Amino acid sequence: MASFAASPVSFSAVSCTVKPNQVSNLRRASLSFSGKSSPSRRIPALRFRVACSAKPETVCKVVDIVRKQLALPDDRDVSGESTFATLGADSLDTVEIVMGLEEEFGISVEEESAQSITTVQDAADLIEKLLEKK
Amino acid sequence: MKLDCYQRTFAHSSSSLTPIQLPAHLETHLWYVKPSEVKNESLLKQYLDILSPRERENVMQMRGEELRKSALLARTLVRTTIARYQINSQINPRSLKFRKNIHGKPEVDWQFSNDSLPPPLHFNISHTSSLVACGVTVDSQIGIDVEEKHRSIKHTVLSFARRYFSKHEIQFLASITDPQVQKLEFIKLWTLKEAYVKALGKGFSGAPFKTFTIRFKEDSIHQASEIVVDSFDEPTELTSNWQFSLLELANSHYAAICTEKHAASAEGKRNVPTKLTVWKTIPFVVDECVSGTDAVKTIYG
Repeated sequence: MASFAASPVSFSAVSCTVKPNQVSNLRRASLSFSGKSSPSRRIPALRFRVACSAKPETVCKVVDIVRKQLALPDDRDVSGESTFATLGADSLDTVEIVMGLEEEFGISVEEESAQSITTVQDAADLIEKLLEKK
Repeated sequence: MKLDCYQRTFAHSSSSLTPIQLPAHLETHLWYVKPSEVKNESLLKQYLDILSPRERENVMQMRGEELRKSALLARTLVRTTIARYQINSQINPRSLKFRKNIHGKPEVDWQFSNDSLPPPLHFNISHTSSLVACGVTVDSQIGIDVEEKHRSIKHTVLSFARRYFSKHEIQFLASITDPQVQKLEFIKLWTLKEAYVKALGKGFSGAPFKTFTIRFKEDSIHQASEIVVDSFDEPTELTSNWQFSLLELANSHYAAICTEKHAASAEGKRNVPTKLTVWKTIPFVVDECVSGTDAVKTIYG
């Protein structure tokens, strides 16, 4: 039996600019066949799971925190794909952004995870992963 | 060829770099450029031209003119600075190649034939939107960090320190009653910690800020004489391997420099003061040795 585990993606109107194609962007798509297989058909134990990108509200909040930290002009476009480096975040900014995210979402980010975040989307995905674990 | 300090050297032609001798064994060279002083469009185009295609791409991806300019100047400063140390023959800044070590620290990928030894030149850069700096040493790992003295932070000094700094450092900052002084000491400590991590070359997670303390050792008359690092993870032997300098540059920035010490005497790692020479430059235009002037104030080291 195929089972899908998908985090709900809400399409409700959000005040920040999140492009629709990003919301439907499936990252690391994998299908899951958990359950019995008939003896005559040896289906290899493939584990599939459909996972969607972080919720738009999460991306939105990350964008807000980044905008404030870097004091970006209103016309500076910031999306999930934006990298912190190209937006002008130096190391001090980056640690402050991480602090801001920890405070906003009530999570704790380890140095190794923090180092691997390069885009807004990375941050949002990590946040959701940490929230899931709670 | 010794560069006389207090002197301004103008480039002979629009694309030449004044050559200079490699730093000596216990010497550090620091070069810096102020983006606000580089306004000439054709000069900036010249700089863009010496970058690799990848570097050009990265510069153009920066969002905003100021960010593009400081990114451009950072790569320009690295290439032109290293090219000055004409090791065997004329080095064209454009022809330099770079690679990253296993932890991601950038280093020169010398393109010499097999019978030539690559020069033991080490470098590290740091930049803010208002100042770009490059440190150079021979035979010694180096890490530098520059920061605007009056840079604003979004959190309070103590909440920031509690999240990232060690207990000793939090206590040190908490004991400072004047908030302005506390903020300045915080920035100094930040640059020192960054410089150390960059010298180690293992990345931010290789030496998490909370796992080491940077403190000012006092001498017998309670004057701060030395900056030292204590690590919870590394034995004393390894942490005493590193020495620090802290400067105030151009009255506007703090610059921290961390370099490897060498076994200077029979007793082991005695603290032999490193000679530091600082140049302010506009590559291809002018170099100004600013050591001993108001542009460079040594705080420690």
